[in-house]
Amino acid sequence: MASGTARQLNINSASRSWGTFSLGVWVITAIAAVTSIFILLRPSDAHHGMEMWTYARTHVQNYEPIVKRWNDNNTDQPPLGIFIIGPKPLERRLLSGFLSDTPVADLIEIERSMSGLFFSGPVEAVGFLDLTERLHDEGLFDEINNPSFSPWTSRGRVFGLPHDVHPVLLGYRADLVEKAGIDVSSIETWDDFTRIMKPLIKDLDGDGRADRYLLNLWHTNIDAMEVLFLQAGGRFFDDNGKAAIDSDVNARVLATIVSWVCGPQRIAIDAPEFTASGNRLRLDGLVVCSLVPDWLCGVWKNDLPAMEGKIKLMPLPAWEPGGRRTSVWGGTMLGIARTAADVESSWEFAKHLYLSPELAESVYRTVGIISPVKRSWSLPFYDEPSPYFCNQAPGRLYIDQAPNVPLRTSSPFNEMAKDHVKDAAVDLRRYALAHECFDVEALLDQAHQLLARAELRVRRQVQRNVFYRGED
Amino acid sequence: MLTVTRRNHWVPYFLLSPFLIVFLLFIAYPTIQSMSLAMRQTYGPQFSRFLGLGNFQSLLDDPLFWTALKNTAIFAAGSVFIQLPCSLGLAMILNSSRVRSRALFRLIFFSPSLVGLVFVAVIFGMIFEKRTGMLNILLHRTFGTDPEFPWLDEYVMPALIIAALWLYVGFNMVYFLAALQNVRQELIDAAYVDGAGSWHRFWHVTIPAIRPVATFVVLLSLIGSFQLFELPYLLLGNSGGPDNQGLTLVMYLYQTGFEIGDLGYASAIGWVVTMILGVFAVGQRLLSQREEA
Repeated sequence: MASGTARQLNINSASRSWGTFSLGVWVITAIAAVTSIFILLRPSDAHHGMEMWTYARTHVQNYEPIVKRWNDNNTDQPPLGIFIIGPKPLERRLLSGFLSDTPVADLIEIERSMSGLFFSGPVEAVGFLDLTERLHDEGLFDEINNPSFSPWTSRGRVFGLPHDVHPVLLGYRADLVEKAGIDVSSIETWDDFTRIMKPLIKDLDGDGRADRYLLNLWHTNIDAMEVLFLQAGGRFFDDNGKAAIDSDVNARVLATIVSWVCGPQRIAIDAPEFTASGNRLRLDGLVVCSLVPDWLCGVWKNDLPAMEGKIKLMPLPAWEPGGRRTSVWGGTMLGIARTAADVESSWEFAKHLYLSPELAESVYRTVGIISPVKRSWSLPFYDEPSPYFCNQAPGRLYIDQAPNVPLRTSSPFNEMAKDHVKDAAVDLRRYALAHECFDVEALLDQAHQLLARAELRVRRQVQRNVFYRGED
Repeated sequence: MLTVTRRNHWVPYFLLSPFLIVFLLFIAYPTIQSMSLAMRQTYGPQFSRFLGLGNFQSLLDDPLFWTALKNTAIFAAGSVFIQLPCSLGLAMILNSSRVRSRALFRLIFFSPSLVGLVFVAVIFGMIFEKRTGMLNILLHRTFGTDPEFPWLDEYVMPALIIAALWLYVGFNMVYFLAALQNVRQELIDAAYVDGAGSWHRFWHVTIPAIRPVATFVVLLSLIGSFQLFELPYLLLGNSGGPDNQGLTLVMYLYQTGFEIGDLGYASAIGWVVTMILGVFAVGQRLLSQREEA
């Protein structure tokens, strides 16, 4: 009887469970089936025709009218489409594509900090098309500001068209400087700068500590420090890709920076760009001067509208009399994938876009970036006064310095080298504080030792990579 | 009944198959592949060079690896010796019947765990800012300290441990609270009757009673500490911070594999982390077995 009841229960249970599975399983399966069918029937987002990937929305906004006209004028070809992909996903997707032959766009814009990854293998394995011969044959080396090619040149081959020059000027709070009766035209070198501007360092809240400092720079901000190394003629790699960090120039710049961020001669404050805290310090007048690449003009106009009419630009003070009055910070290139379906059309479009005077104007007006195309430099919009910069013409000021921007390395180990130099700066500052030694000359020996350590570490990594080695 | 059983014999395998497929594809295969990668230097699948144990050998001479290992160990020590005692203390306070609104306090202390690590990094980034950071403003206004106190320049590891403390102390408190609620009151009462003071009751009655849970929480904390990545990565701006004071093993693995592109070396680091965690797991197992015996 008991057995019969159990059998009955099992039969009932089986009948309630709609065969093998319960109702729930069938519902989930049905939902999965319906959604799968929906997804399969959904129109595909796949773009047929040339594709361009970029990482910046502002770039797309500037390119769209030109792309539209290109598509209108080339109706015999499938239309070109632009897609925005965030910088990190773009880097990962592109690298995967180049290494594993998964599909990538025909044209791709990359930022300088990404480029090393793509140049770290054998030169013949770089996923971008080698443009060197095309650039020579079509005279583009002469047409485009020459130093702008350097970040996109690996082992003598050029893999991209430069989007920009990104010269760096010194932006200063004209309201504070002029109120103090300081004439910036008398500043030629960094020594002049510290001497003449020093009265502006102030304790504003009466707590016995200075609050306002002369320069936005910190020993942990390696991007800003790199600007100064490059300006001084320093570099982290030689022409053969060999680490060359421990040089006299680099040691002197490092020691000077450390003397600026601590001790009795301190002139620098840490007010990072793109942060609320940094912007607060700028708005509160705690920062007198900043290193301002052209792209930062657009950022400031957008993020710090309250600074309108308070900022002026001037050439960077040189490291020595008659020295370079500018440097360089950041950069973007447009490359063509080796796997592009139609290399010639991609090349034609790349030139059409990047050499366009219309693009030069829209990029300058929207984000303040000057074109690397030299014939665009005479266009009148670069001479228009900007109310934000006290009616100076920032475009012209940047163009005046554009031919002088220093050359840069494209070494895949540059970001690593920067990290090691940053560590050297941190250690040198600790040394200066521990020994109460803030004199540049007295710090030089220690700076050399720390830079030698950084160089050794980078060389070790370069040496490990058999697919990319310098001539050492 | 028999018919139903025979008809169902494939069902367990069918139900297991999603897990098995995912496990084989995304755990087993990459694990085997990573061991192969750890013995190679590669640039994509087309360029590969066999190094044997070369990557592991390089690790031994790599100062950054040792820095990362040291930082990770310090963070783990902070987790075990600062965070867990705080969690246990909180749990004991909130387990006491003398505390009012215990449920509310439990919720309050647990609530940071509901916030994602990314938000914690952003919040603590703002707290530790120089001049404009809440902590420096508070200390400057209260004690007249330097408003530029460099938390994230010179005191990276303490800053990380403080952030992790805020995040996890309530989470671990829940484990201890559950364990404390299972300590038999009659044992504590008996000790009290025998003249044991509060410290002796805690040390000789409570601690042995919660030891299995405590061992488990210590293991979890150690594993979590050795997997630390998001908090320093975001708090220190995608880097190990000044002088790599916040560089952890997993961050170094990420930097090596995905920023430098040396997947072989990154795999070697991954295997070292796995071996360290394996040692902890075995240690925990041996401890548990000893307690059970």
